[in-house]
Amino acid sequence: MKYLVRSQGFGATIGVIAMLAVFTVIDFSGWWTVQTLSNVTQFTAILALVALGQALVIMTKEIDLSVGSIYGLTGVAFITLEPSLGVPGSLVVALLIAAAAGFIQGTAVVKGELPSMIVTLGGLFAARGIIYVWTGGSVHNFSPDARTHALTRLLGGELFGISAAIYWVAIISVLLAIMLWGTRFGNRLLATGGSRESAESRGVRTDRVKTAAFVLCSLLAGFAGILTLCNQPQTHVTLGENMELEAISAAVIGGCLLTGGRGSILGVVLGALIVVSFRYELIALGAPSSWYITFVGAVLIVAVIFNQKLARFVGHSV
Amino acid sequence: MRIGKSILYSALLASAALGVAHAQDGEKQYRFVMVSHIGSNDPNMNWLTTSLKEFEAKYPDVKTEYISTNNYSVQEHVRLLEQAIATQPDGIAVPIVSSDAFEGPLRKAIDAGIPVVAFNIPDGRPDGERIPYLTYVGGDEFLTGKKLGEYALTKVEAGEIPKPTHVVCASHDSAHQGLKARCAGMKEVMEKAGAKFDELFIGAEPATARNTLQSFLQANPDTNYIFTVAGWSSPWAWGVANEMKLDPDVDDKGVTVLTVDEGPVSIEGVRAGHILATNSQGFWLQGYAPMEWLYWNKKFGYAPQQSILTGPLVINKDNADQWAEQVRGVFGDKAYDEQNTW
Repeated sequence: MKYLVRSQGFGATIGVIAMLAVFTVIDFSGWWTVQTLSNVTQFTAILALVALGQALVIMTKEIDLSVGSIYGLTGVAFITLEPSLGVPGSLVVALLIAAAAGFIQGTAVVKGELPSMIVTLGGLFAARGIIYVWTGGSVHNFSPDARTHALTRLLGGELFGISAAIYWVAIISVLLAIMLWGTRFGNRLLATGGSRESAESRGVRTDRVKTAAFVLCSLLAGFAGILTLCNQPQTHVTLGENMELEAISAAVIGGCLLTGGRGSILGVVLGALIVVSFRYELIALGAPSSWYITFVGAVLIVAVIFNQKLARFVGHSV
Repeated sequence: MRIGKSILYSALLASAALGVAHAQDGEKQYRFVMVSHIGSNDPNMNWLTTSLKEFEAKYPDVKTEYISTNNYSVQEHVRLLEQAIATQPDGIAVPIVSSDAFEGPLRKAIDAGIPVVAFNIPDGRPDGERIPYLTYVGGDEFLTGKKLGEYALTKVEAGEIPKPTHVVCASHDSAHQGLKARCAGMKEVMEKAGAKFDELFIGAEPATARNTLQSFLQANPDTNYIFTVAGWSSPWAWGVANEMKLDPDVDDKGVTVLTVDEGPVSIEGVRAGHILATNSQGFWLQGYAPMEWLYWNKKFGYAPQQSILTGPLVINKDNADQWAEQVRGVFGDKAYDEQNTW
């Protein structure tokens, strides 16, 4: 119990339990259906992937506002390049584009000593602008052959009635958790966010760690975009618009502190579940769909307060 | 001395070049400028530029210019408008994207004797208050929703599609007055027919939009009509309904989907039997007709006494093939096929 309370995902765990309890009381028959849970978990998986990347950057005490546009740019690149490169080729090149975007932004932040908020805000606009110029305002279709390609099915299909995105987020979450808590790199990443000076005094190349975090963040956002399109290849130039705000919300609700050095992989996934569930259930209850963002805002503020108090309770200085 | 000669030669060359240019433009009596909100990153620009070319072919004494930007903002649009006015054209066609922002420059142009035609978007204020342009040429968003709703009811009468019980108007922009008007037109018709009506803000992001629509359909199982107010979101709506096994194809059961616009997605949706109907607001006419009215106004002093509505025209399975051919002619086969995301 003590270990659970000390874990960074504790707030999100409490939040999910409370949310499910409330939904059960007010809308048992609507919420606990296969259709609802299937829809919510599928969209949670997509948002969670983007939020996990965001969490890695937040843990290094930086922020990435470009993830929505990178999600869109990678997805659009995947669809647009497919006719000339095929599904595997366009997948690789699209992910390389995502990685390059992350590398450029990460390098600008660490080498240029620029605020990540400004650099990635520029990235947000630049990537969205590239989408508009590249596509001429309309995204190409995904050919019937590409839709039935084995790789497309692997990324966007179903197994035992469960969407592929859910398996992917589970696999990636486990890998990230191992990386974060079981490898030297994970330790350095948390140390970089916790106290940069202290980490550098111990020989940690914080500039490399931060750049790697930005690359991973963009790669995860790009991969999420590809998963979305493999599942539903009907898209638009607005792909990923405003997703950065939901991703940051999910990461913060999930226990990441903007002061860096703290975070939880499970917490981020649960944070994404809270964001998506609120949107879904509020509409189901008849609230105007634009209201959900108000609720997310309220939950976000509560989560920040709760997570800060929790961090102080277990002895972290925030 | 050498410098003096160089200047003299340059002046002579410049004069000769100007003389040639003047001789070439000699037959051009008028110059009309279209200051548009639709840039080259929007395939709909082709409708307007194609119609301007055809206008020039028919009226050889007129030179037309199409000005737009891909980095759209009202400020940028006003800047382009002011630049165009500074060149003192013989007429201007412009969408009134913002009455407040456009009022100053347009009133100045009109006071200076430059006739102005509003196209695509009118000044929504009452007659006495609005910018005193010559006329408005374009669609009527309320009528778009209304005519599509009325068309659907004729198909209900014919027993081809189910009677509407609950209609949802899926909009990607909750603040866009034009989209709200489309929903309002559909609402008027459907509520008269006894159906419940909801306007749902789904956003423009595909995954979020699908999630929102799924939630709504799950919570409102009596919904059997979806009206998407953008053509590009119609495949999302159809896809969600199809995933939920609500039988969204056009037949006498399940869900019926309607959309807007004469783009490849909408037309191919109709042809494939996924979409009951879409509409055209007469984009080609919105390029051609403003130029014609500017010409007639300059040449004969003609002025229309009311707005000129170029749409809506319902596109259904009976005329979709003809529309597909026409749109292919404007977009080109490659772009048309690429944009068919069904």
